[in-house]
Amino acid sequence: MLEISGITKTFNARSPNEVRALRGVSLRLETGSFLIIIGTNGSGKSTLLNAVAGTFIADTGSIKLAGKDITRWPEHQRAKLIGRVFQNPFSGTAPNMSIAENLALAARRGRPRGLGWALGHNLRSSLRDRIRALNMGLEDRLDNAIGSLSGGQRQALTLLMASWLKPELLLLDEHTAALDPRSADQVIRLTHQIIHGDKLTTLMVTHSMQQAVHLGDRIVMMHRGQVLYDLHGPERARVRPEDLLNRFEEVRHREQLDPTVAEILRRNYV
Amino acid sequence: MTLLLGATTIGLILALLALGVYLSFRIFNFPDITADGSITLGASVTATLLVHHWSPWLATVAGFLAGMMAGTTTGVLHTKFKINGLLSGILVMTALYSINLHIMSKSNVPLLNEISLATQIEHMGHAAFHAETDVNLFGWTVGVRDAAMLLGVLLLVAMVGLVLYLFFRTNLGTAMRATGDNPQMIRALGVSVDFILILGLALSNGLIALAGALLAQYQGFADVQMGIGMVVWGLASVIIGEALVGSHRIGLLITGAVMGSVLFRLLVAIALRWGLNPNDLKLITAAFVFVALIAPALLRKLKSAPKPGPA
Ligand SMILES: Nc1ncnc2c1ncn2[C@@H]1O[C@H](COP(=O)(O)OP(=O)(O)OP(=O)(O)O)[C@@H](O)[C@H]1O
Ligand SMILES: [Mg+2]
Repeated sequence: MLEISGITKTFNARSPNEVRALRGVSLRLETGSFLIIIGTNGSGKSTLLNAVAGTFIADTGSIKLAGKDITRWPEHQRAKLIGRVFQNPFSGTAPNMSIAENLALAARRGRPRGLGWALGHNLRSSLRDRIRALNMGLEDRLDNAIGSLSGGQRQALTLLMASWLKPELLLLDEHTAALDPRSADQVIRLTHQIIHGDKLTTLMVTHSMQQAVHLGDRIVMMHRGQVLYDLHGPERARVRPEDLLNRFEEVRHREQLDPTVAEILRRNYV
Repeated sequence: MTLLLGATTIGLILALLALGVYLSFRIFNFPDITADGSITLGASVTATLLVHHWSPWLATVAGFLAGMMAGTTTGVLHTKFKINGLLSGILVMTALYSINLHIMSKSNVPLLNEISLATQIEHMGHAAFHAETDVNLFGWTVGVRDAAMLLGVLLLVAMVGLVLYLFFRTNLGTAMRATGDNPQMIRALGVSVDFILILGLALSNGLIALAGALLAQYQGFADVQMGIGMVVWGLASVIIGEALVGSHRIGLLITGAVMGSVLFRLLVAIALRWGLNPNDLKLITAAFVFVALIAPALLRKLKSAPKPGPA
């Protein structure tokens, strides 16, 4: 279970460029649930995921995962519990190393790394099997540098790497946004397979209303560093992509009002 | 012939320097210039211990460990105290100058009658070749000492290269390579980038100090000035090595760095023979590295530049 309580994060505090990226976000995520986060650009979705992953330590608030208080853990320590796929396909893999080596690195996520061989015989054959299951023809290219693959292939591998050792929490930040539609579909199918197959607790950010409605069991909409809507249960079951778009329109409309009115509205609304 | 043998031997010894520089500059993309100080550190520690009648092997290992400590210091300055990488290296290198003087308690320690790896190899050479002074090697008459030294150093460097290659295939070694390749990714896989960087710089400077330790024994003295410009020297070797093997495979890159170092040393020896002023050596080395650094970008620009059309 993931429990985020009242976390805030301000970038460049007390400077002209001050950005209050998170203004008190609280979320409880049951084990095995799959939460989709949507929201306008700059609403703080990535910042929320980064706060959970430990890219930075939140200014205030606390984060608990799998019964442990990880609020002050450094990023590499949290990686024991968390698997992650970034928006940029270049972020999740080491380009000059081979496919097999990249996966071998992931096969020891959060575990001690000593002087044992990185690529034992067993590991090699088991990763060949799992890569074959991707149906991308990569199983014969295990020793090729990952940098030579397409963005879609890299994201598929990153997804495999993030979930190789079943994580307590999987973080996906618009992981198909940089891909062409065909590759995006392929990666989304794989995402669905892995999350359902392993019953992974997942936080996924997306700009695609289709993905939001068809994946996941709960939808959260963020705005200006806060949670604006939290759709679950029957409400979530009824929601259609158009409904979500309407909510975006609503927010946009409110933004266009006189700023003071908008502020009053926001205070009442949020 | 003796000249070429000597140049090759020194090239092989400095291949360890090239491997160290390869580790910091290429694997971590970290411009670590501690090297200028740590190569002298290795030399001064080993030479001083030899004067105190330590066993040559122990003295050499001690030189290696001293280099590791220097690298660790640079790494800690950079990661824990957030000092710019280049500056961290400069600080440690500067401090090492005084430390080296303290270790040797003068600016130069000659190894006259001390037993060193060099004298041991020479003994083995006499025993192996059954000769007192000269030996016939592939039709050339060469000094026993020169031939034995070359073979001994070749064996040693090959061993170090092999160990390094094997290390890079372990869990820790692959994590180290990945840290340089994509720190964001390796952090997300649970590796402390700070720790790995410190470890890598320790290893790099250990290798560089080892080069210093061997060089002191080969040439028969340690000198506080011997490290000046060594980073650039190592970098030149690495660049030549990369051009020679033209591959990303770690085994080939290691071999390339060794070959680059030897080739560079041979070129220098030949140039000096042809009357190059030794004082210009560092200037020319720096110019060479400068050209090698900007050449790839320049070539790309030339290729993509629009062809001048008819006026
Ligand atoms: N490291 C940083 N330094 C300064 N400001 C930042 C930093 N990271 C994010 N921000 C700011 O925080 C706000 C929230 O950014 P965030 O990336 O979380 O938005 P997002 O919801 O992910 O948007 P998008 O949909 O465009 O990805 C933005 O105004 C952004 O400029
Ligand atoms: Mg974002």
